[in-house]
This record gives sequence, C-alpha cells and structure tokens, in this order.
Amino acid sequence: MRNSLFAALLLFGATALAQETIKIGVITDRVGVSKPYSEPATEGAVFGAAEINRRGGILGRKIELLVEDDQSRPDISAALARKLVDQGAVFIMSISLSPATQQQQTVTMEAKTPQMTPMNSADYLTTQLQNPYFWQTGPLGSTQGATLLAHARSKNFKRVALITDNSDLGSAIAKAFKGALEKAGIEIVAEEVVARGATTATPQLQKIRSANPEAMFLAGVLTAENVLIFRAYKELGLKFPIHSSYNLSVPIYETVAKGLVNGITFVDAYDPDKPEVKAFVAAYKNATGKDSQNLHGYGYDGINLIADAIRRAGSTDKEKIREAMQQTNYAGVMGARGMKYSFPDGKRAGFDPNGMVVRVYESDRQGRVLHVGQK
Amino acid sequence: MQDILELAVSATASGCVYGLIALAYLLMIRPTGIINFAVGEWAMVAAFGGHLLLSKYEWNYAIGMAVVVAFMLLVGWISERIAVRPLVEKGATLLAPILALLGMLVITREIISVSFPPDPLPVPGPFGIGRLEFGSIGGTYQSFFIIAIAGAAFVAAWLFFEKTLWGKSFEAVALNRRAAALMGINLSRVTALSFAGGAGVAGLGGLLVSPNVSAHYLMGVPLAIQGFTALVIGGVGRVEGALLGGLLLAFAEQFTARYAPIPSGYAQGVPLLLLMVFLLVRPTGLLKARA
Repeated sequence: MRNSLFAALLLFGATALAQETIKIGVITDRVGVSKPYSEPATEGAVFGAAEINRRGGILGRKIELLVEDDQSRPDISAALARKLVDQGAVFIMSISLSPATQQQQTVTMEAKTPQMTPMNSADYLTTQLQNPYFWQTGPLGSTQGATLLAHARSKNFKRVALITDNSDLGSAIAKAFKGALEKAGIEIVAEEVVARGATTATPQLQKIRSANPEAMFLAGVLTAENVLIFRAYKELGLKFPIHSSYNLSVPIYETVAKGLVNGITFVDAYDPDKPEVKAFVAAYKNATGKDSQNLHGYGYDGINLIADAIRRAGSTDKEKIREAMQQTNYAGVMGARGMKYSFPDGKRAGFDPNGMVVRVYESDRQGRVLHVGQK
Repeated sequence: MQDILELAVSATASGCVYGLIALAYLLMIRPTGIINFAVGEWAMVAAFGGHLLLSKYEWNYAIGMAVVVAFMLLVGWISERIAVRPLVEKGATLLAPILALLGMLVITREIISVSFPPDPLPVPGPFGIGRLEFGSIGGTYQSFFIIAIAGAAFVAAWLFFEKTLWGKSFEAVALNRRAAALMGINLSRVTALSFAGGAGVAGLGGLLVSPNVSAHYLMGVPLAIQGFTALVIGGVGRVEGALLGGLLLAFAEQFTARYAPIPSGYAQGVPLLLLMVFLLVRPTGLLKARA
C-alpha cells in the first residue's frame, strides 16, 4: 500500500515536472469535531479534481490538491493557510469549521490569495472582514432557518413546540427558531431541553404531548440526544409532525435512527432528483465504487467553482482569478433545481437565499423535496 | 395519572442503569478503597461491543450479551493487573492507583474513538421499539427489559454478599484488610475479583442503556457522573444503597423535568443539587454499611 502510494507520488511528480500543475490548497478537518462533515466534503473535492484532470485539466494543466488538516482549530488554521500560500497555492478551499475559516482569511487577505468555503454556514464570514479574496458558497445559517419557517408557514401552524439539546449550537439554533416563530405570530406552547448524556427524553415529550402542539420544531444538533427524542416520540405514540434543522441532513440518521425518522422533514441544500445530482452520484459511484452523500457535493462544487474561475481568468494570476471568481454564474450539485451560484452586487456569499429545500425521510432514507426556498 | 405511571416506569429504568454504575463503583471501593472513574468508559466499551455483536454481526441477543459481559470481566481483571496491582505491591498510597485508573480511562476512550467512526452507532434492543401495557402502567419494551435484567443483577449481588463465603470474605476485607489477611483471605484475589465484577456490572449497565443512547465514545462521562451521584446518595456501604440512590436520582431528574414549573434547561441542575445536598448533610448516604 505504502509502496504503491509512493510510486503514484513519483509518477505524479514526473508529470508535474513535465508540465507544472496548478496548485489548490484544501484545509479540512480529519480528526476534530467537524470530521463527520469535512471528510465527505474532502472526498468530493478529491473526486472532482481527478475528474477535471481526466478531462484534460484547466488551461492545459493538471490541478494538484495540497490537503492540510487544521482539526477545525482556529489557532493552527492560519499557519496552514500561510504554508499553502508559500507552497504556491493559487486558491485555498476551506472545509473545516467557520471559526477556522475566519482565521485563514487573515492570511489570504494579506497575501492576496483567493480563498473560498463551499460549506461553512456562519453568516459572519463575508460580513465581518472586507476581504475581496474570500467567497462563501455554503448556505447561510439564516437561510436555513428562513427556509424551514417558510415551509411551516405554508402549513398555517398556530401552536408549536420547540425542543433542543444543551450544546452551544443547539441552543443558538433554538434561539433563532424561537425568534423567527414568534415573529411569524406562531405560539410556542412548550419549550424543552434534553441534556447531553440523558438516558431518556420521555419527560420532555410527555410535557410536549400535554401541551398539545400542532407540530414540533427540533433544533438539537447532538445525534445521540436527537435519537432519544425520536425514540420517545415513537414510543409515546405521538403523531404531530416534526420539522428539523439542517442537522438531520447528515446521513448518519439513516442508520442510527433506523425506524424512527420516517416522516420527519428537514432543511437541506440537496435535491436527489436534480439532473446534476443524478449525474454526480453515478459518476462518483463509478469512479470510487462508493455511494456519495449530500456532503460530498459541497467539496465537488467547491473544486469545480474554483476550476471554473481559473478557466475564465485564462491564467493563474491571482488578481485575474479574483476578478473571474466574482463574476461566477455556475450551476452545481448543491442547491434547488435550477439554482446557480453567483455573487451579485459585490456580495461574496454566493448561495441563492431561495436555493435551500425542505426534504422528508421516507423508508429510513432521506427522500424527496417538499418545499423550495423562502416563499 | 397515566402520565405519572408511565414516567415512573421510564425513571425506574434509568434509575436501574444509574444503580448498576453505582454498584460497579461500590464493588471496587468496598474492599479496596479505590474509586475508579473508568466505570463510565467500561460501560461505553460494552456498548460498542453490543453494537458489534448485536447490530453488525447480528448474534443471538442472549449469547451476544453474555459474551460482552464476559469480555468486560476480563477487561476489569486486566485493568487491575496493569494499573492497580503493581502500584499496591510497591507500597504506593491509594491515590496512585486512582490516578493510574484515570489514565486507563483516557486510553480506553482514545482507543474506541480511533477504532470507530465518530458518529453514534446503533445498538438494538432485544424486542425492538414498542410499548407494553399492564392496566394503567405503560412503558417501553426496553424499559421493562432494563428493569428485569438490572433487578436480577442486584438480587445476585445481594445474595453473593449475604449468602456466600466469597461475599463474606469481600466484607471482611472491607472491614479490616489486615485482619482479613491474617485470617487467610487472599487480598490480591479479592481485589482482582472486585475489579472484574465492577467492569462486568458497569458493562451490563452500558449494554442495557445503549439501545436508548446509542454507542458513542463520549457516552462514558455522563454515565460515570450519574453513577457517582447515585453512589453518594445511596451510600457506599451496601448493594441496596446503590439501587436506591440510582432510583432516587432518576426520579428526581425526570419528575422535575416533567412537572417542576421551571424552564426545561434548569431541570438539568437537579442531580448536581442533590449531590451537593447529600455531600453536605449526609455524606455517608442513605444506607449505612453494617458495622
């Protein structure tokens, strides 16, 4: 295994000598908290780069990915961005957590090196720093909440319950849901928290049952505690619908909550019936022998957006790439049918606010799209 | 009323799990004086064992459970061999093996976290997901299964200490190590057995709770804390104390979450409040050891 890897590297090196590659840096998370999300996205990017190279590369040159692991730690991610710039990366793709991506910006802004994140969702990434070399194509957190609520509004709920866990992110999402629900004039009749490490969610769901809501909004992000909630829901024989945050778009629920998730609706940025998605899923399976998930699409779109910008720039000059990236108009795997990534009016967050969808679990699988956008 | 009975079943099941973890602490602390916080990680290891044998390889449930518990006995015995005996033989104070066991805790968790994917893994229950009703008492299959198995384990532990010569030798060591040794009781064998038993009981607790909470490498710490709280409430002296402490803790947790007129987030503080009250007012716990 190691020998063949070495041989592959040698071969790669030999072609690189014959014709200089275009280096693209990737900062991912291979051991930290974001590993379950970052790993599939990285695999998608690696697959995308190989596909581009098979089709002849960009500007007649192959692309080469320089992959670094920052463990989602802001304190080391900036140093890795610097390392990638020094190694000659003309673009850096960030797929660990938002705070780490933010730190990398301090380097890319100073070194005038284009950087993008295909999946980070923090709203502040393009607003806190005026960095013309940075773009974000992941769906924003605010878009997720607004899309879920738009779907809920279409149901005319008057009384709902809200449940979450006691993690930082879970509390923050619950707070955002609460604000949006109240703004829409929907009454929250029960507000429950399941603590990390709880052995049952029966008391919380009993309480929600007695409040008799028309629906329950789930803001929790801890997988094990969410499974507890689904178990109690099923065991108490509850019938009201569950509307969940983006967290349920992670495919782990198909196995760990088997038999518990059917009928749950959740926000996603992925439509399995979209032609681009079908083509991607087939090509990925064909090349790697493995099934892809929605998360793979982020990395795949990321590398393709970068390649598209370099192609249109017609050179690897970073300033020309920056200008081309800002003019992006590209349809990828992620997003609702017909959605295109673009950065109009000088904005640098490029995921269409109407590009998210609401999907439903069917037969223990993430199923069809029920609702599109914020209307 | 139906709600109260339903919640009582759920709280009894959780209380049995906490009680088993408390019993695991107790089995080791009684004869040796060593408090071993790795019980939570042992429960976690057993949950992963449950995932492998019962979910991945789909073994017969009873055989799978028995194999996992037997494996845990071995884990406990090995832990004693590695982290306790060498230190005791060199005449170290009690603090040394306690710290060494904390080291084992970290190593155990790291081994699991690098050997398995980071997401929680499913562990099936023996009867799947569903409800059982006896008149107005209703509960999940898993709740009744936990209560039955944990109940049997507690009866067995009680009989062991009360009725067998082996159990009596444990008590003798707990009361006076020196005198027990002089009477011909093999101290190192008692210590080894207490660790094996502790790991077996903790593993049983982990196996029983894992269909609810899934197998996850971070599941050990909360269990270790819940079990410790139950131990403090019930007292370290007697087997019944561990069960009583676990039940009290679980009832307090779940009934405040359900009925107390406070925001749901605050109900999490109740177990810690209970722990503090007991440490201040009755540090020996509810049940005292026999003199």
